[in-house]
Amino acid sequence: MSEIGKVRLRLPASIKPGDVVRVRCLVIHPMERIERDNQGKIIDKKYNYIDKVTVTYRGKTVATFDTTQSVSENPFFAFSVKATEPGKLTVTFHDTHGDTYEGSADIAFS
Amino acid sequence: MAGRGGDRDVTRRSMLGAFGAAGVAAVAGGALGLGGVRAAAAQTLGQNEPLDAALKRVFGGRPMKDGSGMVKLDVPLIAENGSVVPVSVEVSTPMTPQSYVKHIYIVADKNRIPIVTRVALTPDSGQAYMGANIRLGETTDVRAVVEQSDGTLLAVKREVKVTVGGCGG
Repeated sequence: MSEIGKVRLRLPASIKPGDVVRVRCLVIHPMERIERDNQGKIIDKKYNYIDKVTVTYRGKTVATFDTTQSVSENPFFAFSVKATEPGKLTVTFHDTHGDTYEGSADIAFS
Repeated sequence: MAGRGGDRDVTRRSMLGAFGAAGVAAVAGGALGLGGVRAAAAQTLGQNEPLDAALKRVFGGRPMKDGSGMVKLDVPLIAENGSVVPVSVEVSTPMTPQSYVKHIYIVADKNRIPIVTRVALTPDSGQAYMGANIRLGETTDVRAVVEQSDGTLLAVKREVKVTVGGCGG
């Protein structure tokens, strides 16, 4: 399980200034789903799943995902960013156990 | 035995009710200050509830317009594995600081937790687009609800046939 928290970010190969860039990102995370006992009652515990994803570009928040347990294991998200200037794009995942996982990529023009 | 079970059920229900009330308060707060309190937001979204309750809680009974002209919801017709269903939403309206898409919600009607995700966008996104992999418990309608910065709600829905459910519990 040492893989948990590995973030992968994918940008298009070539970006021109002013382009609207579609970014895809993925994090390795179990996204625990609700468990029930034999009577069908929900087991009350602190489920570990990602409930917030923030995307920042050059220090400014571009998009925020609020997610629930209805999102798949090893969640994948896609979003778009308008690339105005070269800079750093960071995606941060927060889970309900208080851990954060971060991935970043540099937007550079070719 | 049955009586005891019933008692427990009542307490569980009343507790859920209390959570629901807290959720409504949190949503009202979130509408004022975009983003809201992180803890409150986490509690409001992922709740085990029927679809009607979820829609009422999140959108407060505001009317939804048909957005099929503007909102493109991309889902598979048949999902063989319900635990990973790719969904993407694209809105054709331009993203300007005056008028932009504020939120995109993904709702899976028959999931135990119907509200799947909420994406808050800013004009810096350039285009209102989001994608995610979601879980579907059974064959269900998937809705995309788009909230524009002036508060208009646009909804589209498509049915996804699920061969093997992915929500387990």
